[in-house]
Formats: sequence, structure tokens, C-alpha cells
Amino acid sequence: MFYRLSGVHHSSYKSDRKMFPVPADRNLVVFLLILGIAAPFLVPSLYLNSYMLPWLIWTAAVLGLNLVTGWAGQLHLGYAAVMAVGAYSAVHAAKFGIPWEFALLIGGLASSVIGSLFAFTALRVKGLYLALTTLAMQFVMDWVLTHSPAISGGSHASLQSPTFALLGQKITSDAGLYYVALGWCVLVTIFMLNLKRTGLGRALVAVREKDFAAAILGVNSFYYKVVAFAASSFIAGVTGAILVATFYFLAAPEQFAVNVSIQVLAMVIIGGLGSIIGSYLGAALILLVPGIVNKIFSGGADVIGLNLGIETLAHIPNAAYGALIVIFLMVEPLGLGKLYANVRDYLMVWPFDQLKK
Amino acid sequence: MKLTTYTKHLAAVAAVGVASMSPALAAEDTIKFGLCYDLSKSYTFVSPQVSQAAMDLATLVNAKGGIGGHPVEIIVQDHGNEPQRGIECYEQLKRDGVHVFDMLSTPVSIAVLPRITKDKNILIQSLVGRGDAVDGSVFTQVFPVGPTYWGQVANDVSFIKDQSGGDLSGVKIGFAYLDYPFGQEPIEILKTLAETEGFDLQLYPVPLPGNDQASVWTNVRRNKPDYVIAWLLAGGHVVAAKEMQRNGFPINRYLSVNWLNEVDINNIGAEAATGIMRGTNVAGGQDLPIIQEIITEVYGNGNGAGDVNNLNDVYYNTGLAIYSSAFEAARLAVEQNGFPVTAESMKAGYESIVDFDANGLFAPITVTADDHGGGGKTRVEMWDGTTWVPQQDWTAAYTDLIWSVVRESSAGFTVE
Repeated sequence: MFYRLSGVHHSSYKSDRKMFPVPADRNLVVFLLILGIAAPFLVPSLYLNSYMLPWLIWTAAVLGLNLVTGWAGQLHLGYAAVMAVGAYSAVHAAKFGIPWEFALLIGGLASSVIGSLFAFTALRVKGLYLALTTLAMQFVMDWVLTHSPAISGGSHASLQSPTFALLGQKITSDAGLYYVALGWCVLVTIFMLNLKRTGLGRALVAVREKDFAAAILGVNSFYYKVVAFAASSFIAGVTGAILVATFYFLAAPEQFAVNVSIQVLAMVIIGGLGSIIGSYLGAALILLVPGIVNKIFSGGADVIGLNLGIETLAHIPNAAYGALIVIFLMVEPLGLGKLYANVRDYLMVWPFDQLKK
Repeated sequence: MKLTTYTKHLAAVAAVGVASMSPALAAEDTIKFGLCYDLSKSYTFVSPQVSQAAMDLATLVNAKGGIGGHPVEIIVQDHGNEPQRGIECYEQLKRDGVHVFDMLSTPVSIAVLPRITKDKNILIQSLVGRGDAVDGSVFTQVFPVGPTYWGQVANDVSFIKDQSGGDLSGVKIGFAYLDYPFGQEPIEILKTLAETEGFDLQLYPVPLPGNDQASVWTNVRRNKPDYVIAWLLAGGHVVAAKEMQRNGFPINRYLSVNWLNEVDINNIGAEAATGIMRGTNVAGGQDLPIIQEIITEVYGNGNGAGDVNNLNDVYYNTGLAIYSSAFEAARLAVEQNGFPVTAESMKAGYESIVDFDANGLFAPITVTADDHGGGGKTRVEMWDGTTWVPQQDWTAAYTDLIWSVVRESSAGFTVE
């Protein structure tokens, strides 16, 4: 009923291959996009720039990792390192005087090159061995950043980013920065939505399911793996650069350390492998929930007049947050995206599914 | 398709809204200090003691009528050493009317620096963050009162020089450091000093997290340095102590960075640690007027912010030192420009601190518009089996060299 299917007929291949075969999905997306565009007028600046902006940027990152992990099935534990390559090359390019539009591109391409370089060596191995190889890449990058002042920005390894500008227009307002993040996230989302229904997307899925079976079908699995690594690294690079340019305003090695890689991977897994909506939800859960749970607990303790030590107050939310992840994955091992899909499937036929019973 | 995302977000926003009501209930006539601390991850070896010290000192000051008649309010929040959550904490407290912030974490201090500089708020940054932030002419909003690691290591070298009869030529100094920016920072200063003073410098990098030091100390046994200066943290000292014993290096030739406290001493063994030294800008032990006052006035009345046993820890003293100088700055701010204390008046307050040492709690500091570090004096203290014994007067050595390094480094920072 809510995702009405009656009256929706696809009479040509073209209409059947539409991005949203169910009109309700498309309407929802349009509605959410409008909300996203109107957010600066609806949401207080604190939430806009400390919650929504990083959430959108991380969602773009998660989508990129989902491309290589969710679609192509290659476990990647060095994603933050790839983001770092993009961030540092873009900031250095921008400092050199190159306009930000090109700096972002340079960041993306640099990441793409480094990411697929590692992919070449990594693709000789599979599964857990691949995971370890990508993890090694993360440590190589950490080491390079902490040991080369020329890259990391000299003393104390912090590299300031020049003011972000697009088309010669400096962007400094809260709303402007938010729109940059929104724009990039929407772009990546559109790319991913389309990927699903292209030959490339189907080839990636074939490689994921069984690479030698794909090879028998005539899909060059090695080629598609490299393409997946390159595309995902490009997204990572630009996302890293945007993260630094619009949120951190400077790049430091800790922002792209191994724990960040694990976090992004956690976002992908909790959101759901190969799920776009799941990427949004996963990023929200991992990124925003710790702070929110923290505030609920400290607020709750205040309200009921419980005088907990500050250390206890800092640790309880961590436990609650961990429990939350476990509960979500127990309820639906395929992630938050699948959880949403379950609700959608149920509502699609409701209330007529009740008649049978 | 994304409906749940948005409702989830709205719910989150609502929840946060409700949750953040409570701090807003606090009286508006307070002087607020925002402590965004790492209470759950990497900095937990120091953050509980420092925040307890800040709250106890606030309780003591408030019991005496506050600063210029206005109570002090300490707001503590956890950021888990994540830059993103540190920024979130800063942005939220900023909107709650806080002008003075303390992050007590190098990555988070660095992450909020562009925002604090742009918003013209105050960042207390003692012992963490960029060392060159002592240059007040560049980092106008940052007050890293205390020594830089550069200054600290230079003072350590000058101490060793005194111990060696005023001449370092032929003396071997080993430097054991965690191989990441924290530990690497003093290397340039040491190299420069090794050239000018003629001592033999040996570098011993320790890989993170500092548990594996076997190769370091076998090399020390081979090279036989006269002293080892150690830029290690927490458990690193304990491992070092074990390895020193195994390799026959006397522990009384081990000179630690300020990050060595009673917890580490107890892990080494209070008796076994006798003779271990640390460079510090804060007096150790409880034989200090302000700590005695807190024990009787605050804990005596049952108003302590935690366990009284936590007070026997030099990091508690460190916390008291940071907030004694911050409260002194606030007092001067109220005296000069009245209430409310703004970021601007707080900055002026800090910059008019002259020769302040909170009754012997720390090295006397004189903060000026150019020197936000307050002089960078430290001294070496030795653990005698029960408490810390100072080995020299407060000193700041090689200040010209330190400042040339600071200026060279800070010149690369620009505010956009």
C-alpha cells in the first residue's frame, strides 16, 4: 500500500531498467533530497555542521568502500590510508595555488593510482590474506605520514588547508560547507545507484560471488577488481580531501589512522554490504551514535539525580553503543539496509498480506 | 528510500535537544571552562586526575566566594580522542556560552585549532598539542602554559651538564623515544645541542605502543650512555625499567619526560624505582599548601570530585597547575574588565600573569603577549622511594635556541 505497485506497468526494457521501478521510492528520494537541501533553514547550525556535514562526508566514504567490499567483494582494511593520500595531495595542490576543483581531482587521481598500485599486489591474494595486505598498506601510510615532514606539514604533523573555494568563490559559511558535502554525497550516491544497473556493476557482483566462475563467463575478474579498487580509491581520495577542506580544516595523521579504517569498514558491515541506504544508516550509527548515547546518559544521570563519576559516564555509553551494534546485527545480520528493506517489503503488500492469514 | 535515515536523525536531534537542556539550567553568572577530555581511550592515564583536580580546585574557589564573586563552572565531556567528537564537543559548548576550552589531547587540540582561532575563543593547551603554540604572536588564542617538549629536553640536557661538572664533551646521552610525533619532537633540539655542547647523542626509537623495547636496551648495554632521556608514556616506563634491570643499566640514570607518575612507579615497584628522575614543571608530592587545603577544605567536607587517594599522583598536581593558572587568568580578567569573562578579557588576563606559582605548586610563570608558555621553566625531580625530591631550582636553559626553533616552526602557521 505504501509502496504501491498496482498500476505500475513496464512495457519496455527501458522503463523496466529505470532507477526506481516503484514510483514511491523515487518520490521518497526526491522528498529527502528536498529536506537535505532545505536543512540549513530547518536545522540549527550546531547539528548542521557537527552532525549532518560529517555524516554526509562519511557516507560518501562508506559508499566508496562499499563499492570495493560490498560490490566487488574485496575486503579492504586500508581505506583511511587511501583517503589520506587524497586529502594530502589535494591540500598540497591547493596550497600550491591550484584551484580546488582541480585539487580535488588531483587528490582523487593520486588516491586512485596508489590504491590500484596496492590492488595489483593485493590481487594476487584473496580473502583474509587480502585483508592483511590492505592493512599493511595502512601501516605503510601511517609510517610515511609520521616520518616525512614534507608531506605531513612539518612540526607536529598538521597540514593546514587553504580556504575552500569553488568557481573562485570562497566558501566559509556553515550552509556553504554543508552544501559542498551534500553535493558530493549526492554525486556519489547517484553514481552508486547507477552502478547497480550497468554491466560494470553486474560484472563486479559476478566477481564477488565467485571470481573463477565469473572468468568462465568471460568476465575478466582481475581487470574488474582493479577497476573496483581504482574507482573506490578515487571516491576515497576526493572524500578525504573534502573532509579536510570542509570539516577539519587541517590534515593530521590521526584523522586517517588504522582505527578510522576499521570504523569505515564497520560502517559498511553494519549498514549492509552492497546497500546504499545501508551506507547512510551505517555511517550514522558508527559516527553519530557514540556522541548521542553519551549525551543521553549524562543527561539521564542529571535528570534522575544520579551522581556518577565522569569516568563511569564516559565508559557506560561505550558499552551501550557496543551492545547496540551487537543487537542490530543479531536482529538482522545483513545490516541496517536489510532492516529497512524488510520494513519496505512488509509495507509493500500490507494490508493485503493480512487476508491470507 | 531514505526515510528511516531522516526520522532517525530527527529522533537523534530531539534526544540531543532534551539531553542538552540540563547544562542550560546552570546559572548564567558563572565563569565556564569547557573540558572536552578523552576519558575513555588513549589519554585515560592522565585525564581522570586532571579533571578531578580541575573540579576540586573549582569547589575550593567557589567555597571561598568564587572568582570576583562569580562561581566557576567546570563542564567535562568525553571525546574519546576522536577529532570528530572533539569538534562536536567544542561546537556544542561554544553555543552554551563557554569561551575557554581544554582538550588535553594532541590530535583533538590540533583538530579544533582552526575553529578556535577563527572564533577567537581560548584554548588551554598545557603539555599537549603543537609546541610552537607558545608563540603568542602567531597563536593568539592558544595558551600552552608550561614547558614545550623542546624546552623540557633542553632543560634535561642542562641538568646533565650540571651533573657532569659543567662540561658535556665526551658525555654520552641516549634518547629513547616513542617513534611518532610525540617522541620525535625533541630530536632536532638534541641534535643541535649535541653539536654545540659536544656530547655524543644516541637515538633509540621505540615502536608504538612501547611494549617492545628489547632491542633498545641491549643497544644501550652495548653503547653504555651516561644518561638515557626517555620520551615514553605510561606502560613504556615499566617495560623500560624491566629492561634496564635485565641489561644492568642503573635506573638512577633514567631521566623521563614529565609523563611519569605514581601509577607507573607502583608498577615498577616503589622501592625498585628509587632514583628514577623526571623533568617537570609541577612540584610532585602532597607537601604543598594548595593540596593540603584541598584535602581539608574539600575532601574534609565530603565535596571531593573523586577518591581522595587519587590525589597522591603528580598528574593531579599537573591538573591543579593548569587550572590554578587558568583561574588566575580569569581573576585578572574580572579585575581588569569586569564580568562576564569573555575570550578577549581572558586572553588579556592570561597575558598579565606575572611571576605566579600558586604557592610553590609549579615553576613561576610570566605570560606575555609573545610568550604564551610562561617561560617554560622545569626542574628535575627524583623518586626517593616514597616521594619526589627536587634535584635543582626551576630553570629554563638554552631559551634562545628554543625560541628560534619555535619561531621557525610557527612561521608556517597562518590563519585564514
